[in-house]
Amino acid sequence: MRFLLLLGAFHSSLYGQYTLYAAMANAKEYIVGAKLPPSGLFLKTASDWRHLGYNHPFISSLDYDSSDPSILYLAAGNGLIRASEHGEKWKFLTGSDVTELRDVAVDHNAPGVIYFGYCHGIRVSRDRGVTWRELAGGLHRKFTEALRVDRARAGVLLAGGEEGIFRSEDGGETWKIAGAAGFQITRLVQSPHAPCEWLAATQIGGLFASHDCGKTFENSGRIGVGGNLSDVAFDPRDPNRIAVAGWTVGLAISEDRGATWQSRNAGLPSPHVTSLAFDPAQSGRLYAGVNQEALYVSGDNGKSWSKDGLDGSVVTRIDFIPESAGK
Amino acid sequence: MKIAACLSILASLSAFAQTPLFADRKLAIVDAYAHYQGKGDYGYAQIAAKLWRHEDAAWCSRKLEQLLAAGPVGDMFWMFPVTAIAYLDRGQLSESARTALRRSWKSYMPYRGDTENHFLLYYTSLYLMSQLWPHQSGEMWYTGKSSEENLEEARQWIESWVKLTTTRGQGEYDSPHYMGVYLIPMSYLAAWAKDPAMKKRATMMLDYLIADYAPENLDGLYVGAHARVYEDQLVEKWNGVSSDFGWLWFGLGHPLPLPDNYALYYSLASAYQPPEILKQIATARAKPYTHYERKRTRNRWRFFDDLHGRVYKTTYVRREYAVGSDQGGVLQPIQQHSWDVTWSVPDARGVENTFFTIQPYSSARELQTYFVFDPDSGTAGVVKSKKTYDSPDKLLGGSPYEKLFQDKDTLIALYDIQPETRFPHVNGFFSKDLTQTTEDSSGWIFMRGGGSTYIACRPLEPYTWKPIAGGGRRLFSPYLKNGFVVQVAAASEYPDLAAFGRAIAKLPLEFALDPVPSVRFQSLRGATLEFTYGNTPKVNGKPLDYNHWPLFGGPFLEAAVDSEKLVLKHGKMRRTLDFRNLTTTDSVDPEFPSAP
Repeated sequence: MRFLLLLGAFHSSLYGQYTLYAAMANAKEYIVGAKLPPSGLFLKTASDWRHLGYNHPFISSLDYDSSDPSILYLAAGNGLIRASEHGEKWKFLTGSDVTELRDVAVDHNAPGVIYFGYCHGIRVSRDRGVTWRELAGGLHRKFTEALRVDRARAGVLLAGGEEGIFRSEDGGETWKIAGAAGFQITRLVQSPHAPCEWLAATQIGGLFASHDCGKTFENSGRIGVGGNLSDVAFDPRDPNRIAVAGWTVGLAISEDRGATWQSRNAGLPSPHVTSLAFDPAQSGRLYAGVNQEALYVSGDNGKSWSKDGLDGSVVTRIDFIPESAGK
Repeated sequence: MKIAACLSILASLSAFAQTPLFADRKLAIVDAYAHYQGKGDYGYAQIAAKLWRHEDAAWCSRKLEQLLAAGPVGDMFWMFPVTAIAYLDRGQLSESARTALRRSWKSYMPYRGDTENHFLLYYTSLYLMSQLWPHQSGEMWYTGKSSEENLEEARQWIESWVKLTTTRGQGEYDSPHYMGVYLIPMSYLAAWAKDPAMKKRATMMLDYLIADYAPENLDGLYVGAHARVYEDQLVEKWNGVSSDFGWLWFGLGHPLPLPDNYALYYSLASAYQPPEILKQIATARAKPYTHYERKRTRNRWRFFDDLHGRVYKTTYVRREYAVGSDQGGVLQPIQQHSWDVTWSVPDARGVENTFFTIQPYSSARELQTYFVFDPDSGTAGVVKSKKTYDSPDKLLGGSPYEKLFQDKDTLIALYDIQPETRFPHVNGFFSKDLTQTTEDSSGWIFMRGGGSTYIACRPLEPYTWKPIAGGGRRLFSPYLKNGFVVQVAAASEYPDLAAFGRAIAKLPLEFALDPVPSVRFQSLRGATLEFTYGNTPKVNGKPLDYNHWPLFGGPFLEAAVDSEKLVLKHGKMRRTLDFRNLTTTDSVDPEFPSAP
């Protein structure tokens, strides 16, 4: 354990304020009951990626504890997992009544409040996962793929499911449709620059944007329309730059807030990108998970790419987590 | 199949008289693994079988440590074998083997899976291991939870599953393969649960699950509609786990050459022997009967308002054959089998004694209904393990464009296929083991199945024949509005196939294909059947009452939806399973006439 802590410290000095985690599955031949190559939660070290905790085939999303970012919360196929000690020590916080978790969102303005979306609803805990309450009662269809807490407005949540984007102003007690009606939502993100700016990636419908704090979303051009987008991100270092990832779309960048797009697939082994993340600590650095290939990294906003590791994986989420509380 | 192992079990079985006793059948299954004769060894199953027999304890310890050192693999399919080993230890394993086993429940995190059987195996194993190692903190378990927390979580799920099953039916119902992974957990809990209520509940569920199979078997073969079946057992109905259990419980048919390890683990725990009433239900075929069941779909995460849809099953059984069906539609993903005719043969091994049609359907929408897959990689992921899922030639799976209606031994299948679907045609399975087939000028196809059964099939649209690898023919009809009328009869009812054909050709049949397929047919049994695609079928002008379809109904089983109560009936014998009060009551029906 001491060795691991040293590695963490080294990593911290190299990457500044953030730790980079990836949730992935190396599951080309895996079905339930079969042998699973190393999969689950990985941490970027100075030289490679290090597997954390248990081998796990289905981790969809992660977030961190506001008061102690060494504690992660993992939305997994078999429950919500508290992964403490920088992801090494795991404990299930949920029981037999929920399965197939799709997203987790910690309210970083409300200590101890954790939300997750799953295949049949949305749940909240206000005591760090000791007890849970269902919140999807007001939703016609319960399947929830994406869930975000508005960091600027207490009680505001956005959820993306089978029938579009829904917004709640009362902590999930009631919901109103906010846009993308009839489309399945795959990812929701809030701008790190302007909290009233939101983006939503969808299946078939392309990209949707909100400029009024998530109250309404409108289609944002033709990017991804007809195909399936898997991820979207604002560049934390440039308010004009956004990126989307998807099946056949690969990775595309807009330098003008979505008005125009450039494909950035040159150097990627296939145009099927499952996840992406901008490095908040280094301008121009961008990661992309290429389906069943590897994680790729670019130092020039996707104009060129090199393989970064996690060979053969499907990377479901790439997240930069602050090294310390309050960042 | 490992030939030496097959020979071993066959040799051991041939030592018995024609129908060995239950205890001998059970022993033969255990010995097939304990004294496994194939190459190498049989891993956890062999360890468990030897421990049960109190044999070779030193080998068992060594082997167990070796397997655990190599790293557990298999999720819940690892959990249940090592749970059996832990309970069959009874002082035989070495301390180091026991320690390695204990350690593995901390070092390895089995995935809980995504099906009903995965959860039941997972939680039953966790329940029993938490019971075995009580008062241990979360530091000792992969869950991070204490023994008591694990036990409670597992108890809650198991009890909720029993309640759901006894009120709304199983979701993964009547599977000739997966029936084994429901029987194992109940056998374990009946044998090893310390809580008397859990023990009793599990024992009652064994009766319940066996009762679910008993009226729908023909010579041990599981007939009719299934939630899940594999293609090899779909056409060679003997070739599956249900043959092991039919033989073990009732001496019916033949077990697999090496009985599946599902039958082994069942036998190593409670090895529950069904009561006489279940034996009678499983074997009484003197009088034809219609059996009804209501089941539910698998969890539908998307595209439906209700988590579970209703499944309405009808199964007609007589000595010579069985006809069984659901109502059609996509009720389960990938492996659904919606209807078939099965004819009796003296020895079903290697025989494809069945007939059915399907609309071959595959779609990302189907997968997204039942799984959390993304749409692009989902189908490819399924095809990794279910090879024919996305094949136009396939014979397995439900279709949203198929509607079925059965009355006794008459079945009408109607298809209204959307042109944009992936495979816009229907397939019919015509077995290599049909002993006669005649394409009559009337449009009917007349067939003889084995020596016992005549089958008439009237395709509503033209068709062509395509060969099936391994024998038989596939009827292929590319017409979008389509259908089949099927009438079955015992060969003993007619002098020959030609006479049967003449009788069928005389039956009034009217049909139309536009705007949707519609059939009006007077069955061989005298009923006027009306069925229009998408409408409720009618028998003699009266619509089928789906709203009052019983959980179980027919001469042998009786259960109302939501009742948590099942009554088994045969002659004067009655057994009542009351899950609300956890009681089993055997009684005699005084009203029943003396001559059954």
